[in-house]
Amino acid sequence: MPDLLPALPEIFVLTLACAVLLVEAYTKNGYWSYALTQLTLLGAAVLTVFTTSADTVYAFNGLFVDDLMGDVLKLMTYLAAIVSVVYSRTYLTDRGMFRGEYFALLLFAVLGMMVMISAAHFLSLYLGLELLSLSLYAMVALQRDSKVATEAAMKYFVLGALASGLLLYGMSLIYGLTGSLHLAEVAATVDFRNQTVLAFGLVFLLAGLGFKLGAAPFHMWVPDIYHGAPTAVTLFLGSVPKLAAFAFVMRLLVDGLHPAVGDWQQMLAVMAVVSLVVGNLAAIVQTNIKRMLAYSTIAHMGFLLLGVLSGSYAGYSAAMFYVVTYVLMSLGAFGMVVYLSRGGFEAERVDDFRGLNATHPWLAAVMAMMMLSMAGLPPFLGFYAKLTVLQALVGAGWLWLAVVAVLMSLIGAYYYLRVVKVMYFDAPHAEPLVPATAAGDVRALLSLNGAAVLLLGILPQPLITLCAYAIQASFR
Amino acid sequence: MDFTSLVFYLFSAILVVAGLRVVTARNPVHSALALVLAFFTGACLWMLLEAEFLAITLVLVYVGAVMVLFLFVVMMLDINIEEMRRGFWDYLPLAALVAVLMAIEMITVLAGERFGLAPPSPKPADYSNTRELGLLIYTDYVYAFELAAVILLVAIVAAIALTLRRRPGRKSVDPAEQVKVRRADRVRLVSLKPQKAEAREEEA
Amino acid sequence: MIGLSHYLALGAVLFAISVFGIFLNRKNVIVLLMAIELMLLAVNINFVAFSHFLGDAAGQVFVFFILTVAAAESAIGLAILVALFRSMRTINVDDLDQLKG
Repeated sequence: MPDLLPALPEIFVLTLACAVLLVEAYTKNGYWSYALTQLTLLGAAVLTVFTTSADTVYAFNGLFVDDLMGDVLKLMTYLAAIVSVVYSRTYLTDRGMFRGEYFALLLFAVLGMMVMISAAHFLSLYLGLELLSLSLYAMVALQRDSKVATEAAMKYFVLGALASGLLLYGMSLIYGLTGSLHLAEVAATVDFRNQTVLAFGLVFLLAGLGFKLGAAPFHMWVPDIYHGAPTAVTLFLGSVPKLAAFAFVMRLLVDGLHPAVGDWQQMLAVMAVVSLVVGNLAAIVQTNIKRMLAYSTIAHMGFLLLGVLSGSYAGYSAAMFYVVTYVLMSLGAFGMVVYLSRGGFEAERVDDFRGLNATHPWLAAVMAMMMLSMAGLPPFLGFYAKLTVLQALVGAGWLWLAVVAVLMSLIGAYYYLRVVKVMYFDAPHAEPLVPATAAGDVRALLSLNGAAVLLLGILPQPLITLCAYAIQASFR
Repeated sequence: MDFTSLVFYLFSAILVVAGLRVVTARNPVHSALALVLAFFTGACLWMLLEAEFLAITLVLVYVGAVMVLFLFVVMMLDINIEEMRRGFWDYLPLAALVAVLMAIEMITVLAGERFGLAPPSPKPADYSNTRELGLLIYTDYVYAFELAAVILLVAIVAAIALTLRRRPGRKSVDPAEQVKVRRADRVRLVSLKPQKAEAREEEA
Repeated sequence: MIGLSHYLALGAVLFAISVFGIFLNRKNVIVLLMAIELMLLAVNINFVAFSHFLGDAAGQVFVFFILTVAAAESAIGLAILVALFRSMRTINVDDLDQLKG
């Protein structure tokens, strides 16, 4: 009898995801599925808190690992998923997508992320990734009468499948080299006589990883998918899976291939620099805010890789802090785009935000906080995220990378500030952007999201300490 | 050259040719059929590697199910082949160059016994590949097995959510509804008062 | 005598053919999907060969799961393709130009 206790949150989410499917079949009313989804995520959070411990526990013959980093990331995943579901409620209702399928697929995607976060074996990494990806492809295409959405889903699918192929090819070579699929055993037996094959396998692994992360030069799909997907789905796939993606990188490169750290540092450095340059420069010319945020995601992923590639505990915890920060900020930014889109109207051009301050000063203030935080200005949270990554990078002796990162962030600040300028200094549109029936809970949660970015920016130490502690406990 | 080598080279040649046909065939149906051949030959090669269970699974799952699905979709969609082929050969020289270089590089890196693995001794006669895999899948890999089940469930949900359409004007028969019908739903007995002939004439 | 490197070379050639196919059939989504299936076959040949020569059945178990996932993946891919065809009446990638930037 395997010990099921460490995997209790996964089992819970799976059971209730199936329950959502049944509830949808019998009630045909999206509100039941919506409530049950929120309940599932809350329940999973409670279970995760109760099963957490500072020790690392393996289960299912070493396919599954429950450690502190995993628990923290899972809690953030539930939180982000809850927030994204609340934000997208009105949007989904307006477009006829407020149905059980959407919520069931969302829960399956969350389950996939949990599996990735707790993977200790190539097989569980792969299966978690596929569970997440397949659910996301379907969610993007769910608005099936929309040409842009189905087109985006097709592109996402083809490139995602290609990335899986590359990733698997790399895994097969590493398997041949080490004779094991367990990440811990791989780390123990990586054979340095075969430096060539190891580097060769790593190239395939990192190419696949780059595709999935959306890091340049494998970023072509990101702007199209962010733009084409229904905004509620963009909100979800642009924020929540980044936590799991970070865990995926950590499991694969640090748990599994740490002996080859010299090789993957070089490759990650190239990817990080290209991502920073491409992301920040291409974002400047965008007029569609979803595309702009997509390019900004690429740049943020570059920053995340900078943290990982410093190869030290400080770097890993900085990267973890960065990804948590990024998820908070992108939830707020995409949440605002979703909030302002009503009926048949999509508030997706930067121009749609013109003069928002005159009509809705509070919303404009929240959006401005998100933009300033993404740009990395103090006293917002984004500033500390960038600062800790840069500190770790300099501490590991990568001064030139830190200089590139700072320069690119300065360029990046331009397009974030442009949104702020449009909201505060341009004349508003003739017709108001938000109809009178704005949902109160969404508004409250958006305000809370903005407050979190500001308050955690003023007092960042607890979150930084939590990340550092989790990394220390998990990668001793 | 011993028999195994002969079989390997023959099947490899068939596999490579089939693979090339998949990507160059003029008609998607031919591509799909070439892919069937490729999978079948791949299964035969796996037999040489003593992976009998997977070889049979590959034929059953891929040739039997996935490729039939592909053929179904190819034939269901009305694809304009000629238009699709325009400019096809423009990419050919570049793509061929990239592919040949890539193959040469990969073979240089991977061949030459870099892994230092000798061929294993043959398995005993009563060894069952299916049994060994079964034991592993249902014990050590039960977590992965459950996850695979979830992935298949997601595929079912997604495929239905994306393609099922309920047309409003459908005239199909629902047997359950027919069985459930009661007399009261169909026939209404109305008791009319008998009327006199004069009264009817007055009305007229 | 047929060794591990023969199988790896075969896998490499198939992988290259599938990349070739992806380059060549950039316009035709359905052949693109088939090329990706070919790539997975190359990966599977690698895994089975390693599993045989390592004397470790874990590689074969991995292939079993890759086959399962690939079947699910092609079901979803073809469903998206059908949805796309219904809304656009084409699967020619050149016509997929709603998203440009």
